[in-house]
Amino acid sequence: MSLQLGEKHFTSAQPESAARRIVTFRVGDRTFGIDVGMVREIKGWQATTPLPHAAPHVRGVLNLRGVILAVYDLRTAIGLGTTEATATHVIVVVDVEDKTAGLLVDSVSDIVDVPVSAVRPAPDLERDEHGLIEGLVLLDTEIVALLDLAAVIRDGGDNQDKQLRVA
Amino acid sequence: MDPLAELKQTFFQECEELLGALEQKLQALDEGSSDPEDVNAAFRAIHSIKGGAGAFGCTELVGFAHVFEAALDHLRSGRVALEDAPFTLFLRCSDAVADLVAAARNDETAPVRPDLLAALEQVGQAKPAAPAAPPAVVPPAPAAPVAAPAADAPPGIAALGNLLAMVDAKMGAPAPAAPAATAANDGWDDDEPAAAAPVRRPGRDVRVKITPEADLFRRVIEPRVAIGILPADEVVSVSCDLSQVPPLETLDVTDCHMRFTVMLRTELSAEEIVSKFDFTLANEEFEVEVLGEAVPEAAPVPAPAAAPEVPQTVAADLSAILARLGPAPEAAPQPDIQPAAPAAAAPAAAPAPAQPRPPVRPAANDAAARQRQAVSVRVDLDRIDRLMNLVGEIVITQSMLVECVRSLPYDVYAKTAEGILTLSRQTRELQDHVMAVRAQPVKAVFQRMPRLVRELAQALGKEAKLVLEGENTEVDKTIIEELADPLTHMIRNSMDHGLETPDERVAAGKHPEGTIKLVAEHRAGRIVISVTDDGRGINRERLLSKARSRGLVGADERLAPEEIDQLIFAAGLSTADAVSDISGRGVGMDVVRRNVESLGGRISVDSEPGRGCKFTLALPLTLAVLEGMVIRCGDDRYVIPIASVIETQHLANTPIEHLTFGQEVLRWRGEITPLHRLGAVMGSAGARDENIIIIAETERGGNVGIAVDEIVGQQQVVVKSLESNYGAVAGASAATILGDGLVALILDVDSMLRVAASGARHPAPELKLAG
Repeated sequence: MSLQLGEKHFTSAQPESAARRIVTFRVGDRTFGIDVGMVREIKGWQATTPLPHAAPHVRGVLNLRGVILAVYDLRTAIGLGTTEATATHVIVVVDVEDKTAGLLVDSVSDIVDVPVSAVRPAPDLERDEHGLIEGLVLLDTEIVALLDLAAVIRDGGDNQDKQLRVA
Repeated sequence: MDPLAELKQTFFQECEELLGALEQKLQALDEGSSDPEDVNAAFRAIHSIKGGAGAFGCTELVGFAHVFEAALDHLRSGRVALEDAPFTLFLRCSDAVADLVAAARNDETAPVRPDLLAALEQVGQAKPAAPAAPPAVVPPAPAAPVAAPAADAPPGIAALGNLLAMVDAKMGAPAPAAPAATAANDGWDDDEPAAAAPVRRPGRDVRVKITPEADLFRRVIEPRVAIGILPADEVVSVSCDLSQVPPLETLDVTDCHMRFTVMLRTELSAEEIVSKFDFTLANEEFEVEVLGEAVPEAAPVPAPAAAPEVPQTVAADLSAILARLGPAPEAAPQPDIQPAAPAAAAPAAAPAPAQPRPPVRPAANDAAARQRQAVSVRVDLDRIDRLMNLVGEIVITQSMLVECVRSLPYDVYAKTAEGILTLSRQTRELQDHVMAVRAQPVKAVFQRMPRLVRELAQALGKEAKLVLEGENTEVDKTIIEELADPLTHMIRNSMDHGLETPDERVAAGKHPEGTIKLVAEHRAGRIVISVTDDGRGINRERLLSKARSRGLVGADERLAPEEIDQLIFAAGLSTADAVSDISGRGVGMDVVRRNVESLGGRISVDSEPGRGCKFTLALPLTLAVLEGMVIRCGDDRYVIPIASVIETQHLANTPIEHLTFGQEVLRWRGEITPLHRLGAVMGSAGARDENIIIIAETERGGNVGIAVDEIVGQQQVVVKSLESNYGAVAGASAATILGDGLVALILDVDSMLRVAASGARHPAPELKLAG
């Protein structure tokens, strides 16, 4: 499954400052975003092979055209439990540092252009101890939390002791 | 890469082979071989290195190689008897040449070794009966580094400019008189001081006609380089035929219109000469013609009568172009010698007057040349890798097909299955062949080790002999590259910690010279390499006390002797009394172990105090594919390498007994074998019945039973890294893609046992997920 993404501009006066183009997606009632440049592709959910002793948010590995990559459950990473994945769920394939990874989310919503100046630093949230949120953007109706992907993925790997805090 | 750099790269690759051959032959001679072919081969090796180095302007290398070559020449000619020859010196010199080659490769300056040079020059001097040896003088700078490309012109054009200028000068000068007959051999170049004692070289007269294609310069090949590949001191003359140069109006200066004739007096066979042009000229561009055997005192080559008959032929003396590559005649234009002349001139007394042989068209009808080409083809590794990847994908597609076919109605199935069966066989064969292309003998790594032992022996004041076995054992290229480091470490360890000093050895009743054995063999689908020394063995007491002092072993923990030995692989431990440059910093064996394990290999040690120590390294033959058994446990499938499986059986036939802490054992072939349940160890999801037991072999030689639900099948799987996009997974060495496109982990029995063991001792908290 592949999604056609519509485009919507954040403000009419865009040239006034440098803009960031952001892909937004939803987990439950929350909206997250990452830079579009990090997204390699978006595909429908497909079954993963679980990895033993992996961190809870590591859903397992899958085969993307001969390359094996790990899929991370964003819901688990932010402490909202495990996603009951169905065919309508979406894996956002991203490039993080030198690795390719999949991010399991409920759905992809949009691509928006956001002036750099509109990105606010994440408030010093008590719950966000892993520093998963890099910044916040206020859209018309909602708040988009920009993810620090490296931090989302960091707690994977061969690091079975580290359990993410469950909200 | 520009073609010239590529050519240079090829030269350095060749150098490595040549250095290997050189060292091997010298070693054989040192050990008492009296085969003159060994001497010749060593001589040829250094000679070829010198030749290539000259062409690429590696001054220091040429200088050293020249002196070395001269010294070896004494052996070849019999002026120095084999039993008197200082092979130890020669071996050290071959190491020095290797250093120079490495330096030239990295564009560094290597240390000049005046000590070795001086020693080399002594070779052959002490013998009163020996004729004055040709003074071993480093020839002046060889040709300037080839073609420093002008900013905007291809390098070939600049060279052409030089050439034309030179030829112009010659044309303007009065046509050279027919040379004095004697000039052919005696007219050495002035600026070659070595020529003080001219040697009438033995060998045959050979004519090489070079008729380059017009695009020669555009291929960035200079005549100087092409001709310079011939041994400089065997080139008698070089002449250039400009008759093909078109009128000025139509002249394209990037075209090569020159034809060259090179006269050689050489011992090289026509095939060897042909092979020298392998990298510069196409087969159609040159012709090698052996004119006849020359007897050292043979009458000089008669003046060619043909010269005046070809007015357009400018007998350009290209000695200047050959620059200082070697001596060239002052003025010896020999545009076209009658082939029969030298033979006719040979004294009748010559035992078998050689007939002029028909020209050798390279690779055309000469079986030897053909064979030579068939022996090796240089292929970029990248291309093989791409091929390998593709084959891997085909294997996956093929097993996917097999799964699809199963669901077909029977009558269709039967027909299709036959085709698929054939396809499987062919795919397998294809894969084997591709793997074979990548396979290399471990010699490539082994041959670096004698030098290491020599140098360490010298540095440590020990006497050691290295015995190599199974050098021709073949293993995939991916493994070869990974072998050098662990082997170096293991040999260092044996030299430094294992072997005693000669005095200590004598005191212990051993031969003062220690022996290190390096053995490679195939065993159970792996390559097993062992390094055995006959030294003092591991000092268990000291190792244990160090381990205790570092808290690696509890003060009251009792360890079996074998367990103590394994501590040598623990991080930060070294038993050497003094930290030396060689080893003793406690980094080493633990790094080796980590590297080896990351390749899916194992390393183990067996030590016998006072008698020696044996390190055994077991690695897969390839890192690309493996033969696996697909098993199911709960909802998950895994692949276990067939190499680890000894047998499978039904649980009902196997008596299981329970020990403490839930540890189960089973009796198998009269042995008590631990049993682990895969589902529990790997945390498989879903219901399990665990009715099948796989008896697997561990790297340490023990056996273990693994309970699984079902054996799905056996197939070759393509190994995919988990680490490139994720990280190491305990219990698994890698992953693969099964026929349905899903990923399965490839189990690593030993790693699994470690998971099981750590789980038993410190039960991991159950990871409960909220939501």
